Amino acid sequence: MMTAGTFRGTENPSTGRLIAWLKRKRAVLLFALVMASLPLWEGPVSDLISVRLLYTLRLVGIYAIVAVGLNLLIGYAGQVSMGHAAFFGIGAYTSAILATRLGWPSWLTIVLATIMAAVIGIALGWVVLRLKGHYLAMATLSLGIIAFVLFRELLPLTGGNDGINYIPRLSLPGMTINSKVGEYFFIWVIAILVLLFAQNVITSRTGRALKALDFSEVAADAMGVNVALHKIKVFTLSAALAGLAGGIFAHIQTFIDPKSFDVTLSIMLVTMVVIGGMSSIWGAVAGAAVISFIPKVVEALPKWFGNVPDWVKNYSNYQALVLGLLLVLTIVFMPSGITRGLADFVKFRKSPFNNPFRRRRWE
Amino acid sequence: MGFNIIFSSTGVINFAQGEFCMFGGLFAFTLAVTAHLPLVLAVILAILITGLIGVLTERLIIHPLRHISMLVMIIATVGASILFKAVGRIFWPLESNPLPQFTSGQVRLLGITVSRQIFWVIGLTAIAVAAVYIFYNRTRTGIAMRACSINPQAASLMGINVQRMAMYAFGLSALLGALAGLVNAPSTNYHIGFYLGIKGFTAAVIGGLGNIFGAVLGGIALGLVEELVAGIISSGYRDLIAAVILITVLLVRPAGLLGKRDVVKV
Repeated sequence: MMTAGTFRGTENPSTGRLIAWLKRKRAVLLFALVMASLPLWEGPVSDLISVRLLYTLRLVGIYAIVAVGLNLLIGYAGQVSMGHAAFFGIGAYTSAILATRLGWPSWLTIVLATIMAAVIGIALGWVVLRLKGHYLAMATLSLGIIAFVLFRELLPLTGGNDGINYIPRLSLPGMTINSKVGEYFFIWVIAILVLLFAQNVITSRTGRALKALDFSEVAADAMGVNVALHKIKVFTLSAALAGLAGGIFAHIQTFIDPKSFDVTLSIMLVTMVVIGGMSSIWGAVAGAAVISFIPKVVEALPKWFGNVPDWVKNYSNYQALVLGLLLVLTIVFMPSGITRGLADFVKFRKSPFNNPFRRRRWE
Repeated sequence: MGFNIIFSSTGVINFAQGEFCMFGGLFAFTLAVTAHLPLVLAVILAILITGLIGVLTERLIIHPLRHISMLVMIIATVGASILFKAVGRIFWPLESNPLPQFTSGQVRLLGITVSRQIFWVIGLTAIAVAAVYIFYNRTRTGIAMRACSINPQAASLMGINVQRMAMYAFGLSALLGALAGLVNAPSTNYHIGFYLGIKGFTAAVIGGLGNIFGAVLGGIALGLVEELVAGIISSGYRDLIAAVILITVLLVRPAGLLGKRDVVKV
């Protein structure tokens, strides 16, 4: 690998800058390259492991978008939200209603869904972010419940328990995306843009302000950080990303009902953030992948080993148990999540089960 | 209406609290109906087992995390709550696990027909509140626990074992939770815990956290408002009420109706 100094003498400064940018973002770009090549070798691998990779990865991408936003909020700014399914649902319903009632193209409705979630995010964030800790967690949880009940009860708008059917598939101006590969690319192009954006947010002035107010709001305030404004900013951003993901979700599933956006989803999203690793953008992606793949892998187990005990076949009954166990075990033994834990292990030969995160806070 | 006030009396904020209620009801169901134990024995055993689960939760999940941030602790109790719910679902998959009522039948009172169960609810609530009050004000352990909730560091300087008190607090809140679940037990299922948890917390917040009588009043108020709204508007909106009230109270009067100022605003 060449050093950064090599590029300083480049004739054209903009080329130098571009190369420097490529170097800085090499992890994301490499990841994007791998993801882009995936449809080429997906078939054989899917057959080998009996898990439909592309199919699952679409979901991973959607959840990754939400989890990255939620991680900015929880991991970096330290503001817990137990109600992000609400914004995911708002995005999904906005997009679905606009697309089915008014027949607007889905690329437009998804944009509007994002804006809708952001606007509601500003309003709710302005209200609930005055609270802290348990109170904030409980208030956001309540928001999730309120949203769920509204999805269920506002019959003329949301179709109640029956949900909304026949949502048109994804489209771009001038074309409809029908194939799985197309949907896969649509989602992951957005997901990778979100990743790049989130990385920029973290290294920006705002990102540093967020970390500061996580550590100590008083200290951050004393340093001139507008605590309230920054909290609302990051809450709105995470709400918008949840809305974006929700909008895409509606057009992939082509059917939505309130059950898809209940409190379980909120908790699942938080689990993704925690398992992947708080304050780690890659952690959010890893968390989304782990949570989305577990049920698919369990489904595939009989094909790997032939006979499996009955309780494995009835996995859906045990899914919550596995999620809860994963969440508790990760928090107790690996509080900085799998990505950070494994990275520390590889880099410093430090056991992932005992890492600096544990001693970072006050006693 | 009366059940959710009992367990909120402890003032311990724990997302798995509702699941303790669930365990109380479900254990009692298994012991009384499946194992054919006498009802009284089954009830006492169920409460004790749930208390034990509470203590174990504190030791295994909360204790190792005591040095990490509040955020992690919150998420850990949420994890515990999911775990308990899943366990409940696996062992008691039925939608309804009816426990025989303590005394069956109905009585007419002031022209209204009420189930006799309601007297048990009110009576047990009163007894539990009185017991908790005496415990907190008259016993050494109770006073030590209050000291810990006010200022753990000062309490520990006074020679109080804060860790042990935290364990007791979890055990006690699990006991009360179990009692609440039992009183409500005519039908208990695995997903009852979650809404009970929310409503209990709401009741506690309405009354003012850490204020036992406030929590009782909060519980009564919440129960009444819920019934009213369910009657007037639509029962579909019932679960919404606790959530709306919770947010409103937290924002408008964070100390609750009776409590002292406790929530720190930005």
